[in-house]
Order: sequence, then C-alpha cells, then structure tokens
Amino acid sequence: MAADTTATSSSSSISVAEQLEQLNAARKLVLENAAYYDRIVKGVLPIIGPTAPVELRRWGAEFLAESLATPVLAMRDRENITVAVLDTLKGLLEGAGEDTIVLKASVAAAASAYPVALRWIIHNSYHTESWEQMSAIKSRILQIWDGAPSPVKLSCIKFAQRVVLAQTVSNGMEQKLANSPMTPKTKVFIKSLEKTTRMFLTHLLRRDPNNPMAGRIQQYVERLMRSRAEIFDEAGRKRALVDQAGAPAGDAKRQRMETGIPQISIPPLGPGPHTLAAVFTLTNNLGLQGFDAAQLPANLAAKISVRTLAALDQHVLDLAVGGIRDRLTSIYAAGAAAAAAAQPAVINAATAPLGVDEEDDDYEPDLTPAEDTEQILNKLDNAPPEEPIDHAVETAAAMALGPFRLPPPPALDPDIAAKLSQAAASRVFGPLAALKDGGALRKPKAGINRLAASSYDRDSWLTVITRLATRSTAGLEDIDDGNNGIKTEDSSALDRPRMSLGDAIREMLYTYILEDWRRRIEIAVAWLCEEWYNDQLTKRRGGGAPLHYEACALRLVDGCLNYITAQDKVLTRFLAEIPELSRPLLGKLKGLCADPTTVQLALTSLLYLVMMRPPVREIALDTVAEIWTEYEDARPLAAKYLVKWRPGFIESQTRGSASDAAPANAMAVAT
Amino acid sequence: MDTANGSAAAAQNGQQQDASGFRLKFCTVCASNQNRSMEGHLRLSQANYPVISFGTGSLVRLPGPTITQPNVYKFNETSYDSIYRELDAKDARLYRANGLLNMLERNRHIKWGPERWQDWQVGMPRVKHEKDQGSVGMEAGVPDVVITCEERCWDAVIDDLLNRGAPLNRPVHVINIDIKDNHKDALTAGGAMVDLADALNKAAIEERAKVGASAFEAGGAASRASFDERVPEVLAEWQERWPDLPATWTLSWF
Repeated sequence: MAADTTATSSSSSISVAEQLEQLNAARKLVLENAAYYDRIVKGVLPIIGPTAPVELRRWGAEFLAESLATPVLAMRDRENITVAVLDTLKGLLEGAGEDTIVLKASVAAAASAYPVALRWIIHNSYHTESWEQMSAIKSRILQIWDGAPSPVKLSCIKFAQRVVLAQTVSNGMEQKLANSPMTPKTKVFIKSLEKTTRMFLTHLLRRDPNNPMAGRIQQYVERLMRSRAEIFDEAGRKRALVDQAGAPAGDAKRQRMETGIPQISIPPLGPGPHTLAAVFTLTNNLGLQGFDAAQLPANLAAKISVRTLAALDQHVLDLAVGGIRDRLTSIYAAGAAAAAAAQPAVINAATAPLGVDEEDDDYEPDLTPAEDTEQILNKLDNAPPEEPIDHAVETAAAMALGPFRLPPPPALDPDIAAKLSQAAASRVFGPLAALKDGGALRKPKAGINRLAASSYDRDSWLTVITRLATRSTAGLEDIDDGNNGIKTEDSSALDRPRMSLGDAIREMLYTYILEDWRRRIEIAVAWLCEEWYNDQLTKRRGGGAPLHYEACALRLVDGCLNYITAQDKVLTRFLAEIPELSRPLLGKLKGLCADPTTVQLALTSLLYLVMMRPPVREIALDTVAEIWTEYEDARPLAAKYLVKWRPGFIESQTRGSASDAAPANAMAVAT
Repeated sequence: MDTANGSAAAAQNGQQQDASGFRLKFCTVCASNQNRSMEGHLRLSQANYPVISFGTGSLVRLPGPTITQPNVYKFNETSYDSIYRELDAKDARLYRANGLLNMLERNRHIKWGPERWQDWQVGMPRVKHEKDQGSVGMEAGVPDVVITCEERCWDAVIDDLLNRGAPLNRPVHVINIDIKDNHKDALTAGGAMVDLADALNKAAIEERAKVGASAFEAGGAASRASFDERVPEVLAEWQERWPDLPATWTLSWF
C-alpha cells in the first residue's frame, strides 16, 4: 500500500522534500518488515529513475544498494527484486555526467545484483532480457571506471571483484583487488597503508596456506614489518640510545676498572699447594677472596658473567690471562722440579675439593674486575698446549685441555651413499618441471650442425640428462670390471647390486618418459641414441664393459606396450627412429597381436620398417612371418604384407603344413 | 590553514545541526564495550550523530577486587543495569571508588547492554533499538565510519570484516585511535572523537554539495576529491590536533 501511494504521489506535483519524506517513511516500513521489500522497491522505481531530480536519484540509488545488499531477504525474494531493478539501475548508470553519489551507490547496487542475476539467468535461461541488462550494466561500469572519481572507482573495484568471484570456480583462490594506494605523507598514512596491506595479506595466507604464492606473501609481509619497524621504531632506537646514555654509570665503572687494573699486579703464588680457586683469584681483597660465589643464584651469576664479558677490556683480559698463565707455568715448573710424588699432592689439592666447587669458582671472580674465569678458561682451552708441555710434560698433560677436535663423521655406509646418490640424481630432474619447452621455433634449426644443450630450455636439459646417464660413469664401469677380484669381494660383501649414478639417472629417465610416454617419445629416442652411441664407443674400447642400449630399448618398449592402444601411431615412429632394432625387440610386437585392436598397429609398424629401413627388413619380415604363424587372428593382414614382400612364404607354409584350414586362409588372403 | 580549519571544526563540536541535515553514521569499538567505546557512543550521540558501539573481546571483563579476580560477563546477554546492580551489591564502596559504578550508571542510560562486534550482523535493521542514544538514523544498521579505540580491536575488526567476505559491497572507513583504558583518557578521547566526527562530516557535506554534472565535469582534481578520498587527509589533520592519540585508518568493506 505504501508503495502504491508513493508511486502515485510522485506523479502529482509535490516538492522534492515532501517526496523524500514519504520515501523515508517507506524505507522505515521495509526496515521494520522485510515483507514489504518487494512492493516498495518496485513502487519507488518510477520515482527514482534517471529523469528524477538529483536528490531523488541519490536517495533511490542508495536505497537500491541497501535493499539489494540487505541480509534479511531470502535468495528468492532477492532474485525478484534484483531482476526488477536492473532496468532502473541501467538507466541511472547511463545518465551522462551522473552525480558521483548516485553512481557510487548504483555501482554498489550492481555489485550486489551481479551474482544474483547470474544465478537467476542460469535457472531461467529463456529470459535473456535480464541478462542483457546486466551485461549492459557491466559494460557501462567498465566504461566509466577509468574516468570516475575515487568513490565510484572504489565501487567499480568491488563490482569487478564480485564479477570475478561470481564467475570463478568456487574452489579457486579468492581474488581480491587491492585498492589503489595513495602517497604516504604522514605517519598516519604509512601506518595505515602498511597495516591494511599486512592484514589483507595475512588474511589471504590464513585462508589458503598452501597457495603457491604463500611463500612470497609471507616474505613480503615480513619485509613490510621490517621496513615499518625501521620507519617507526625511531622511538625504540632513541630508547636504546637513552639506555646507552644511561650507561655512563656503567662506563664510569668500567673506566675505574681500567685505570685500576694496570696497577693491580697479579702476584705470583708462593710455593706450596694451591687450590684452583686460588690460582684464578686475582683480587687482593681478602673479603672478596673469601666470598663464596656458590651463594649466587645461577641465573644471576650467568647475567653477571655475560655483562662482565661484554664490558671487559681486551687489555685487561690479556693481562689477567697472562698473569694466570704465569702462575700456572710456575706451578708446573715447581711440580716438575719436585719429585714425582709431589704431583699427586698438587693435583689432589687442586682437584679433590674442587670437583664439586668448580662451578662456583667459575663465578667467584666475577665480582672482581678482570677475572672472568670462563673467558680465561676458554683462552686456555684454545691456547696451544706446547708451552706447558715444554715446561713440565706430565703435569701439563694432566692439567691442560687438549685442542678440541670435532668427532669424525660416521662412515658412509653403501646404503646411505646409494640413497644420497639417488637423491642427487633426482635433483637433476628438478629443473625439468620449470623449464620451458624449446618450442617449435627451434626445431627447424636442428640439424647436423646443431649444438646440443646450447640453451637453457627443456630440450637442452634433457640432452644433459641423457648424456649424464650414458656417459658420466662410462669409463668407471670398465675399471670396476678390470679389478675383478675386488669387485667380487665387494659385491659378495654387500650382497646387493649397487646402482651407479648412471643407472640411477637411467631409472629416473625411464620413469620420466613413461609418465607421459606419448609426448615424451622423442626423449626416449634421444636417450636411446645416446645409449647406442655410448655402446659403440664402449665396444670400440673393448674390455667387456656392460652395454646398455638393448636393455634400455627393451624395457622402454615393454613399458609402452603396457599402455598402448590402436591409436598410438607413435610406436611406429619410435621403432623407425631408434638407432638399432633387434629380433627380441621386434618380437615384443608380437604380443600386440594377441589383442585384435592392436594387430593393425603392430603390423603397420613392421610394414613401415620393411619399407623404410632396409637394414632391418629381414628381421621385420621374419617377425611378420612369426605373427602369421602364431596368431590366427592376425593372419589376414600379415598375409597381405607377406604376399607383397616375401612372395612364396605363405605357399611354402601352407604346403608344409598340408592342413585343411590353411588353404582356405590363403584363399581368403588372395582375394 | 589546516589548524584554522581544524579549530573551526572543533568549535562546532557537533552542537549545531547542519542545514543539509546530513549526518555520517558512526560505530565505536573497544574491547568490552564499556569504557572507551561507550564514552565515544555517548559523546557522538550527544553531538547528534547516529552511532552504535561494540566490543571485540570474547567476554566483558571488568576489574574486580584483585587483578586475578575480574568480573566477567557475557556479551549480548547481560545488561549494563544488571552488572550495575550486581557490582553495587558486591562491594559498592570499592566499585564506586574505582569508577565502575559511575561508568555503568552512564552506560545504562545509553543502551541496554554490551554488544559483541563479531556477533553483529551488519545491515540487520536496528529498529528495535529506538531507546538507545544515537539510534536515530541508524535504523539500517550500517555505519559509514568505525572508530576503534585500540590497535588490537582495529585488527579484530578488519580481520572479521575480511572473514565476512563483504556481503554488502559497501565501503566503510575503519579508524583506530589508541586510547588507554582508563576513565580520564576515555573522557579526553571522547572529545577527540567528536572532533574527528565533525571534521569528517564537514568533508562529507562539502562533497555532497557538489551536485550533478557541473561539478563532476568542470572541476579539477581538487573539486573531484571525494569524501572517501579525503578521509585520510582529514584524519591526518585531526592527528595534528591530537598528537597524543595515534591513529590508523583503512578502507574496509561491509
């Protein structure tokens, strides 16, 4: 009802302000009860059209944006309203030089309308008009986007995002368009931009942590935080300076120590047994000497140690180290001079009571300026042991710590070594996935003068791999063979075949080709060419090194035949292109004839060889003949070829067998 | 120039109703929807702005007798009045002395109870909130500007809005003002919020005054500068007036 009254009242001449008042009343009505939406939205459409005064258009556009976005409506109602308003929306957007606020709200409304309209047209494909309107709206928005003032642009961006989202497979990563950045002038700007970006990126990260971009996003976020810290933590840095400025107290202390130390001479110890503590005590203060550092809690002691170490002057440290070293030297000297019996006394005196207290001794000197025991001990650790040994060999050996050596790495056992080389081989294949196809452009260039692997594309890399497989260990295998005695010993000890690097790569190459053999048949050919070439070299060199070509070729053919179908003409090509064919290899084709669908493929491939590769014509024909003999189903076709290429064969066979069935076959073939 | 503008805006302080009657709609957000956001709510509503307020915390937390015994309440289910009565019964002297009762007394006259940001559905009509201060103009339940009172809350708001996926396709300015959570700072910041609201509203009215094709076509870059675009500028100017309340801004979507 309300809608109707508004609609009619608009036609009469009442003031814009009055109209607005009525419209607001209508809006309040729908806000209170969503059931009115349909009627009121449709009712206001004539009032807010492109010809209405700007105030009404603004109100209307904003009302449409609000209504299309409202969460209170069910999808069905929303579809109804959306379809109804499209025409008005289109009109508002197409008005030349339309008001910014109207445009902004209209585009926002269109953003809400788009997914709904898309959904609607999917279910109501006969109703093309709505979709045409939506498309027109879309084109119009894209058209005004560039020249539009910022608020409209913002809405346009949102609209584009909605379009992309609506038409993206739901699983895909949500694509969001960043808002255009503004020049950072002040802290507020920088901080706002940084935080906005960071929040947005972290949100993306959280939403899809496995996205391929995740690593880069993470990096970017970290860089952002660092640069922000650099820009903003001036305050923090100032505080650090203040800390240092506050440190004059510490500085003064340190200076006092520095001036004090040179005066403190380190008195050599008198004769007689000394505790380790006494050896390392540098202070003359009796009170401090008596201080039991064990009373200090460990964390406090650690703190003191660290601070002292950090603040300690190198000169002071050297002096202290020198002093202690002198003391130790003199003790060693005294010990050496004394009888051997004196030694245990010294050592006992030093170690027996200190076995427990050693740690305490470490900390005790902290209270006095120059005696950082840990530091000194470290120095001693690192000091070459020669000196004490010179003076008093045994004592020194007992007292001084030898130079530290890292334990040798555990011996590499063959299994681990094999595993590692396997891993190394697999890394060779790593770049393949990322490398680009050389492309068709390059192919015409290939010829006799071609340089293998002259560019970093997939073809070149594959050349490298094939050669790595065939040639890298070629010489080494010979040597292995030469030292026969060692080899047998080795292999018996290991009791399992060890895979060479070449074999490991061969293995992976085989897997790589079989993964997609129809498209990688060229690689197979290239590989076999390399194997063949290498075999020729090996043969020429002699020495009975293993040959690989035949084995690899057989294995590849076996691998492919497992998956072959009648359409796989690549087989013909493969057989034509590989450098050498053998009976066993062609014999594999016979297996194809067991399946009637692949008979033709097998025989055509053989025919091609007969026609195009004279050197193998005889073996190929032999194979055809065998097929004729072995596979009843394949006879008609095989016979056809045999008649042409090996005349008389069938006759001789049929005559030889003298059977009753064969002539019928021959007759059939002859026709 | 800027400061002159600013002080002029500050002088208005929202006391007068502009001729156009246009009012930006605000939303204030703090952790518990008790102190800072409610002070802002009160001041903005007194300045005739449509305003709502929320908290982003998981629960409403108020200080208790010791630091380990806070008074904890549920959002959306507890009224300011019931909290007031409970605390008054517990230890009127203590809660009077630490200002909680005064605060709650203020709050219970502003709206029914603390609301949680994350539970609020943007765009749900708020026609049932007529008695709330600042409810006039907020019927559609969609503010233009959200003011948070702490960076943590700002983060929570932005995060939440990103999670919601912007179903309304409507831009919203989210501004953070760092305010210490005590009565004195909240009071100061309340004034600052009104100052900011006035400056923003002034800019919005100016933009709305540029009607139709003439302004759109004829104007240079400056005259086409829009409200949305001017928000960071306005905020930057405001920051110069209120240097002790560090601010952050972003444009987010409902």
